[in-house]
Amino acid sequence: MNSSQSASKPAIEVDNLTVSYGPVPALLDVSLAIPAGKLVGVIGPNGSGKSTLIKAILGFVKPDIGSVKILGEDVARVKGRVAYVPQRGSVDWDFPITVREVALMGRYGSKRWWQDMSRNDYALADRALQQVRMSEFSKRQIGQLSGGQQQRVFMARALAQDADILLLDEPFAGVDAATEGAILNVLTEARQKGKTMVVVHHDLETACEYFDLLILLKQRMFAFGSPTQVLEPELLSEVYEGKLRVFEALTNHTLEEVLQKGLVPGTGEGRPPR
Amino acid sequence: MDWLTEFHLANGHLIKPLVVGTLVSLACSVVGCFIILRRLSFLSDAIAHAMLAGVVGGYLLMKLLFGTEAHVGAMLLGALLAGVVTVGMVGFVTRVSRVKQDTAIGIMYTGIFALGAFAISMKSLGQYIHIDIYHFIVGSVISVGNSELWIAGLVTAFIVAVVMMFFRQLQLTSFDPVMAASIGVPVVAVDYLLTACTSLVVVSGVRIAGVILVVALVITPAASAYLLFDRLNRMIVAAAAIGISCFWAGFFLAHAAGASPGPSIVITGTAFFLATLVLAPKYGLLVDWNRRRRAVPQEIKEDVLGAILRSEQEWVPINDVVRHIASNKPKIRRAIMQLIRQDLLDQKDAGLRLTSKGRREGRRLLRAHRIWETYLDRMGTPANELHGQAHKLEHMNDEKTIDYLDDKLGHPLKDPHGSTIPEDFVDFEELSEVRSSLLREGFRAEIVRVEDAALRDRLMPGTKVSGGPRSADGIRWSLVTEDGSTIELSHDQADAVFVHRVESDPS
Repeated sequence: MNSSQSASKPAIEVDNLTVSYGPVPALLDVSLAIPAGKLVGVIGPNGSGKSTLIKAILGFVKPDIGSVKILGEDVARVKGRVAYVPQRGSVDWDFPITVREVALMGRYGSKRWWQDMSRNDYALADRALQQVRMSEFSKRQIGQLSGGQQQRVFMARALAQDADILLLDEPFAGVDAATEGAILNVLTEARQKGKTMVVVHHDLETACEYFDLLILLKQRMFAFGSPTQVLEPELLSEVYEGKLRVFEALTNHTLEEVLQKGLVPGTGEGRPPR
Repeated sequence: MDWLTEFHLANGHLIKPLVVGTLVSLACSVVGCFIILRRLSFLSDAIAHAMLAGVVGGYLLMKLLFGTEAHVGAMLLGALLAGVVTVGMVGFVTRVSRVKQDTAIGIMYTGIFALGAFAISMKSLGQYIHIDIYHFIVGSVISVGNSELWIAGLVTAFIVAVVMMFFRQLQLTSFDPVMAASIGVPVVAVDYLLTACTSLVVVSGVRIAGVILVVALVITPAASAYLLFDRLNRMIVAAAAIGISCFWAGFFLAHAAGASPGPSIVITGTAFFLATLVLAPKYGLLVDWNRRRRAVPQEIKEDVLGAILRSEQEWVPINDVVRHIASNKPKIRRAIMQLIRQDLLDQKDAGLRLTSKGRREGRRLLRAHRIWETYLDRMGTPANELHGQAHKLEHMNDEKTIDYLDDKLGHPLKDPHGSTIPEDFVDFEELSEVRSSLLREGFRAEIVRVEDAALRDRLMPGTKVSGGPRSADGIRWSLVTEDGSTIELSHDQADAVFVHRVESDPS
């Protein structure tokens, strides 16, 4: 890939994608084109197909209809261009594997099955660990880390893969504020290097400050655009089914005001103690 | 060399069983590592049970079609086929019905096992079948022949080759199949490969331990190794070593006791696992228990701080502290040592004193204790139980918890015994914004913002105020402005006024 190509073609192109696990499709007719070098958030209520979208972009789930193109090429034929940071809950933290070995997995895609890992691969894995400041833990078993450290190990794996596109499933779920900042730093650094990132996110409050673009999803795609375009009160109350009555407040206040006061429910501890 | 020759002369008939057993134990244990990491233990069990039908089928086929007796190859193929059919049926039933996987497994492998047993017991077919059911169930490693030796060798070579060549693929698909797929590892093909490997080792393992016990050869050594090692490659090597050792130990144990080797090998494996469970250096119960015993509970440390804070003496004798706390002496001493290391306590000779950091922590705990007491009192707890219950509850002293209770109780100034509850000094950090309901009498503060529109004309941001006395049983607040006028506020109104303190506590 050269840079002129990446500028002209969208990093990720999803056309009329429908994925189902049963009679109800998890994703229905989703079409979007994510330009390269953007940090994109995917928001939507629980079970809205956010993880399915990520897995479709990875080529892990097969679409019933529609297509996913990575840098202009069909996803089935693209290998290793997309790195993946799994949801914390989906990882077996008791697995006998060390921090360094996880980072090294990022290099697996660059090798044929008969080729051994080279010294260069270990160096790249170590450098990736350094980037997320996890070098000193490289010999630890992954279960002996804090939640934020665990998240960073998988970030390192994605960095070691040196993919053009990073997909992250809820990286900010259940981590403390310091880790959230550390992960965000790694993401913004990666963006500076021209990586495209798609991040599943559950916190509407921070969504508008973290991401360049937002995808609002609930089975169908409800909106795709800048945070101010997507965080529209009518849209949100439609997607969240008016459960968030407080969205009415959005019509009276500016977005900033509402977010500052932490009026958006289901988003945690925005409220200062009384 | 002497003993070797001697051994050979005396036990020559044991060499074939020992070689077969060693090879098969190795193969079983290696595959077992992936089996337990993928939570597929049932798979080996199901394949083992299905084997009876497969063996019988293969036997009958060869006998009736070609008239040959007990063709090992056909029986092996039949067993593999039966295993694959079972696994396929389990998947099918789980997919198409609401029956869950564990039930589907139970149904399918007993069903297929029964099919084999039925065929053997039938008069019309049974006359053709000469399979020793007893040996099939408990194994018969002693009587292995050359064909078994060949099979064991080939199976083991195949397994070792597969694991060495496809280690990364097996590791990654076991750990993170989604990523594996994204970098082009054929996940489904790897799954089939592993199923095939499982069938192979189970079928060869049955000869040693029998259909019921063979699963132990596969998973028990692997599980022991899992408790011992943090890296998959080491775990695999260890599992193989453990599997082989347990086979040898069990084999000779049976030999000495004049018993059947199959059960004896499994017993050895289980005993090794239990020993590992207790003694493993990192994940063993003993280490865990010891770690917990040596750890000083937070509660004791808090009790030490509390005891010193409540004491009037400047240097509190250690013996006084120990006497005040209901725990054993060594634990309290360890707690004191830790507190000194954490810079919460100073020690001079046998006397202890709180550092400024320790004093702050002590007051924080005192506040938690008194707020809990007030809470219990409001709930109608009898006065004589207040202190005891609050003493247990004060260890729940997370700031948010205490702030919530404090707010719910209306920010009480005194506890039920009439002692002053320390103010919320944690939130009174320099320049941090707090609600004015936290201001005590005499505290000076500057208003930052007012969220109650009705108060805005009287209280402007930037205005300096000081806390006035509470009235009406503590439910009315008052703020005194610099010109001396007093503004009365309800709890909600006081909460709507945000301030930060401008000078430290006059006390």
